[in-house]
Amino acid sequence: MTAYITRRLLYTIPIIFGVLLLTFVLFTLVGGDISIEIAGKGATQETIDEIREEYGLNKPLFLSWDSQFINHFKNALTFNFGRARDREPVIDKIKRGLGPSLALTVPIFFGVVIISVSLALVVAFVRGTVWDILAVVICVAGMSIPYLSFILFGQYFLAYRWGLFPVFFSPELRMAQYVALPVLIGIAAGLGRNLRFFRTVMLDEIRNDYVRTAFAKGLTVRRVLFKHVLKNAMIPIITRVVLAIPFLFLGSLLLERFFGIPGLGYLMAEAINSRDYFVISAMTYISAILFVVFNLITDICYSLVDPRISLE
Amino acid sequence: MSVRPILLVTIICAALIIAGCDGSGQLEEPNEMVLHHVLSAKIKGLDPGNMRDVYSVIVASQMFEPLYQYHFLKRPYQLVPLLAEDMPQISEDLLTYTIKIKKGVYFQDDPCFGSRPAGSVPDGKGRELKAEDFVFSLKRAANIKYLSPNWSIFDNKIAGLDEFREYTKTCKSEADVDYSRQVQGLTTPDDYTLIIKLKKPWPQLCMALANTATAPVAKEAVDYYGRDIISHPVGTGPFRLNVWRRGSYIELVRNPAFRDELYPSVGEPGDAEAGYLDDAGKPIPFADRVVWTTIEERQPAWLLFLQGKVDATVIPKDNFDEVMGGAGELTPAMKQRNIHLKTFNDPSTYWVGFNMAEPVFGKNKPLRNAISYAIDRAKFIELFFNNRHLIAHGLIPPVMPSYNPEIKEKGYAQYDPEKAQELLKEAEKIHGGKLPTLKITLPGTNTWYRQYGQFLKRNLNAVGLEAEMEYMDRPTYLEKVNTKSVQIFTSGSSARIPDAQDLLAMFYSRYHAPGPNKFNYSNPEFDKIYEKAQVMLDGPEKRRLYRKMELIVLEDCPAVFLNHRVAYVLHHDWYKNYKPHAFAFGLSKYRRIDTAKRAAYKN
Amino acid sequence: MLCLGVIVIYFLLAGFIYLAEFFDWRIGPTLWAEQAGQSYAPPSSENIFGTDIFGQSVLRKTLYGTKISITVALFASLISVAIGVPLGAVAGYFRGFVDEIIVWIYSTLSSVPYILLILAFAVVLRDKTFFGYKLTGITAVYLAIGLTSWVGICRLIRGEVIKHKDREYVLAAISYGCTRRRIIFRHLLPNVFHLVIIDFSLRFVAFIHAEVILSFLGLGEAERPSWGAMINDARIELSRGVWWQMAAATAAIFFLSLALNIFGDALRDSLDPKLRIQ
Repeated sequence: MTAYITRRLLYTIPIIFGVLLLTFVLFTLVGGDISIEIAGKGATQETIDEIREEYGLNKPLFLSWDSQFINHFKNALTFNFGRARDREPVIDKIKRGLGPSLALTVPIFFGVVIISVSLALVVAFVRGTVWDILAVVICVAGMSIPYLSFILFGQYFLAYRWGLFPVFFSPELRMAQYVALPVLIGIAAGLGRNLRFFRTVMLDEIRNDYVRTAFAKGLTVRRVLFKHVLKNAMIPIITRVVLAIPFLFLGSLLLERFFGIPGLGYLMAEAINSRDYFVISAMTYISAILFVVFNLITDICYSLVDPRISLE
Repeated sequence: MSVRPILLVTIICAALIIAGCDGSGQLEEPNEMVLHHVLSAKIKGLDPGNMRDVYSVIVASQMFEPLYQYHFLKRPYQLVPLLAEDMPQISEDLLTYTIKIKKGVYFQDDPCFGSRPAGSVPDGKGRELKAEDFVFSLKRAANIKYLSPNWSIFDNKIAGLDEFREYTKTCKSEADVDYSRQVQGLTTPDDYTLIIKLKKPWPQLCMALANTATAPVAKEAVDYYGRDIISHPVGTGPFRLNVWRRGSYIELVRNPAFRDELYPSVGEPGDAEAGYLDDAGKPIPFADRVVWTTIEERQPAWLLFLQGKVDATVIPKDNFDEVMGGAGELTPAMKQRNIHLKTFNDPSTYWVGFNMAEPVFGKNKPLRNAISYAIDRAKFIELFFNNRHLIAHGLIPPVMPSYNPEIKEKGYAQYDPEKAQELLKEAEKIHGGKLPTLKITLPGTNTWYRQYGQFLKRNLNAVGLEAEMEYMDRPTYLEKVNTKSVQIFTSGSSARIPDAQDLLAMFYSRYHAPGPNKFNYSNPEFDKIYEKAQVMLDGPEKRRLYRKMELIVLEDCPAVFLNHRVAYVLHHDWYKNYKPHAFAFGLSKYRRIDTAKRAAYKN
Repeated sequence: MLCLGVIVIYFLLAGFIYLAEFFDWRIGPTLWAEQAGQSYAPPSSENIFGTDIFGQSVLRKTLYGTKISITVALFASLISVAIGVPLGAVAGYFRGFVDEIIVWIYSTLSSVPYILLILAFAVVLRDKTFFGYKLTGITAVYLAIGLTSWVGICRLIRGEVIKHKDREYVLAAISYGCTRRRIIFRHLLPNVFHLVIIDFSLRFVAFIHAEVILSFLGLGEAERPSWGAMINDARIELSRGVWWQMAAATAAIFFLSLALNIFGDALRDSLDPKLRIQ
């Protein structure tokens, strides 16, 4: 097991390197000169030159020991993310945004998973009946509405028109209040495709012979569903669920933008708009690490849940 | 493995997370006077030398005081001393200004001043303000390592300061700069006297010294906090920082070390009736706390205002009809809530500018004029600004002393599509063929800008011109404009001083991009008059010259001027002493709340 | 089959608009810029979907938007297939170093959150000239989407090729001296191609939705009406009570996505019994 883990961890190194390379290339080479923007409105050439000096933008890109890329790489490895465009340390911004983002994504995540897995079990059981077809139709319909429309409809009717929820984030509201509506919308929008997926997985399981045998042997429905079907369907479920976890940390870009929740998704959107390279590369780097780590966890869970799969 | 316990645990965890998080704001004590405001963007920092956005200035100006300030009530706008004892003594040749500093002004108490001697009583006072602090702040602005945006104010103005800047270029980092180096134009013969020597006459010096950006900063604070000084303001003003939750909430409290300052006893005619002199002669500030909440969307801020949680607000474009009835009056719903409306002319101008360096425009005056005739300014103001703004018939906005009341008759802002089409025929001849598709660059990608772009396109298409819009974010836009790679661009400017100098500087040929002259416009006659007026003190002759320059610009048409802003502000009945001021910041010290009225307000 | 019909209608509409623009016919959708009524007029007998801020007919804008959305989705799909399929096949067939490199590339790309990646690409590609061809807003968008979305199809193809590689028909082909290129293109790919078709139909929906999100984030078609822009405008319009633009665009997207989803399912059922969704 440890050998496997070590080998997988070694694999992550080229990937992290790849991510750093990607962010560097994208924003430095192709993105253009940010020093003019930092200099501001009435800037003279000498100010612009000074800025380039300070931010190290006048160093060669790749080919020396002190090149920009090497510095970028070194900084990432030591988790030194520097300061953002407005001179606040990037780490502070990330720490601040983590709370609200998690408060949004974690409830959505749990809500979607719990509801869709449970519903999938139920629907799988009543497959073929009108309920099943109805469920499928609703799912597909839900998948066909653009996410943005969900948000707009929800915000307009539930918050603005009917006043059931606050329309927007406001620092004096309790977190539970301003998070409630976005969470609701997030769950509603995400249910469709997840329910469909889990339903498919359940159905595949149910069609197996051993299920028929179990019913023939006289086991109750509940026992069959929970003890047998669910357990065996766990592999694809776990894969999907665990792989979604890294993305929880990034918040939901759209929901946060719309409801003004000061989380990481909002931070990211702002950073991209204002070309705040430091923030963007820091967050991309962190998300890449998380992704890689959780991939590893997924594989380990795989082997725990299914004895047939050995860690090769 | 049974799934149910896991489900149960996760549900409980989720519930705990949600319930446990509490983002509520501070509680108010019943007898406290608290001002509640909303900012529509995040503030970036509270260091006067590094103010890059107006929101930071709004907050920082309550804590930092410059030498001069604008009189709160008197109009036309005039400067009065704030940290200075008096208006400066100016030498005959207009080059030397002798300024006396008030005695007994203290920086707020702060760890950067070291620990107190044992046994002394804490009185909130840090160190006393000295003339040297002003010199330090100016040197800091000149320090190229510090990258202050204020340098453009002082560039090439004070004797010896540019040499100091050259010196700082040789230093390795900001901390290496030796501030004790002498600058011949900034001397302090004693602790309370400051002498500034200029290179050539600069009539707007006092206005620059009324800018929060030139407020004195304690060297101890800069040394102690380094880069973090943006979140540790140490000022002399009536308020001090209490809480700052970045990106959402900032709170200032009364500064116990603030000296005695009084509310003005004189104003302009009409102030007494309006209630602005009710507090004449009383010591300021009145408020115990000032609070700003950052809410970037208009709608929620509006709702908070209606609920009485915010004292004043602008009217969101989409709620205009529920606020304003016909004839510029408030609707009954607003009057019922005892909400007041104040309007004032914002000294700003917005335009569509041409890059004269592009041969398509630079040599083709009929084309530029045609575009000016093609744009329906009235419709623009109607669709985008609820008919609130004024059409810009010229460059200089009405608030300025040099505004020409007869500018409308000159007829530079007419909407005449037929005339435009005629002019286009001429333009084609000059161009030597069919006119190419014009490219218009706008500094934003949101709905507002896209609709703006579409509006311009429709106007141009209606006279037979083809146009293509380019939307980009601000940084890219600035880069393109600064590198002269745009054809037509939209922009605007809001004057910060009651002198049209800054607006006119945008047409001075020495300031081509990346300087303020983004139009890359050159006119030797204009330049001559500009240089002459630059060193004149304000007066009828100077205004005459300003108006002449304005007419030259209007005739040459390097830009099509669209509108001047008019601000409509609403405030609640309990918010006293709110008189709109076009240039001053730091006015929270004058505001007073009628706490009884606010408590009685029902939504 | 109804769904196929719906889809075909959309495509035909898009194609029709292309032709109309090309030949400069002045009918319906191409005249979207004309003032059809008052600013923000609600739906009425004159304008079934009402008007927007300039008085333009929302119905016409919606019809015109079909062209944009279908173009984006089509090009993005083609790009991602053009990149993903060959790379996947090559990786799966040759294994070894080539495989490692390709897997490294797509693992790197997939560790970065999707929206972020598209945003980054789109922002960066905007305004660059590519071999003399200027990239306008919308081109950058579908390039960005295409360049970042090929990972899924690549993985799929790679997996299938690996599975098929050791099958008898491949071994037989090798034994009688088929070139590798022939093996990949004439033998392997046709056998895995059904996956491409299924993936294509599902991706298409995703791309249409992505256009909406990108419009919201400030990228995408600026000059001409697109569904994404209409929904985005709805943000400020809703607070005035103007709901018709958003409703029209959402309805248009909804029906197309629905049709594509159902069609994709039906396709999957008929083409690959093992992946049957009941």
